[in-house]
Amino acid sequence: MKLYTYCLCADVDTFDNSISGVSGAAVRVLKIGDVSVLVSDCEAVPVTQENMLAHAAVVRSVLTRTTPMPFRFGTLATEQQLQSFITTNKTAIANKLAHLRGCVEMDLKTTWHSSVSATTKSDREVGPGTAFLREKRLELLGDELPAAERAELSALLRTELGSLIKDEKLGVLPSGKPGLAKVFHLVESSKIKEYREKVQKLREKRPELQLEVSGPWPPYSFANIELEFPSQFGVS
Amino acid sequence: MADFDQIIVSEEFENTDVSLLETLDHVLNRGLVIAGEITISVADIDLIFVGLNVLVSSVETANEVVRKRKPE
Repeated sequence: MKLYTYCLCADVDTFDNSISGVSGAAVRVLKIGDVSVLVSDCEAVPVTQENMLAHAAVVRSVLTRTTPMPFRFGTLATEQQLQSFITTNKTAIANKLAHLRGCVEMDLKTTWHSSVSATTKSDREVGPGTAFLREKRLELLGDELPAAERAELSALLRTELGSLIKDEKLGVLPSGKPGLAKVFHLVESSKIKEYREKVQKLREKRPELQLEVSGPWPPYSFANIELEFPSQFGVS
Repeated sequence: MADFDQIIVSEEFENTDVSLLETLDHVLNRGLVIAGEITISVADIDLIFVGLNVLVSSVETANEVVRKRKPE
């Protein structure tokens, strides 16, 4: 029997049965050492809007009690695999849970026009093949933002939001073009109001950024611990 | 450090501003990935995502790769 996994968390022994999991399945707490895993008994998970929202609802319900480390939608594992993962990564998970504790994720979207990217060769200056491969590379890299652009945007936001940002991840889609930059901030839950106020001030100060804020979210963007993929699959 | 008892009663926390699209983006594109294997099925066809947006393959092909990787 496989288990559908929602999140890892500490200090959770029971779950509110009024909230259904994916495919209407009951959600239960699986204790592995000091870590609680919210799971449903499930062999397969159809990709439906209902199931995605069920996943989100289960994770969000935990957020009112503690900070969860949400799994990505669709993660299935046996109990043995979960035990192996948690035992192997015991220290990393404990450190991550400590890092996330008491925090939520706040997301910012902005029409970010990097001065760095403006100085690089545009797609018009390269051949169609190069442009195509650049696009594919960006797709594969996902949300990775070049270091120089990351530093520029990060510096701006840290100047304005300062100590409210406990951790930060930045991305831009599509990179190198005037477009949408995404910024994920880990913020202490007690400072959500202050965060919104400071974003509003920045919005008034820099209206061209067209800042949009959403949240609070469970810390999906900060949940991953170091992955084994690079060594296993040669991904760089 | 924030106390989560405060969160429960916090108006700010209740005043969430999240859209359906963003919710789906979060659950599909972010979150913890374990052991390099996420299994989902679309229209009764199982797929495996290996890594983060690196490769999507059929279960059959992925299992074949795994079998080849295992020592005899």
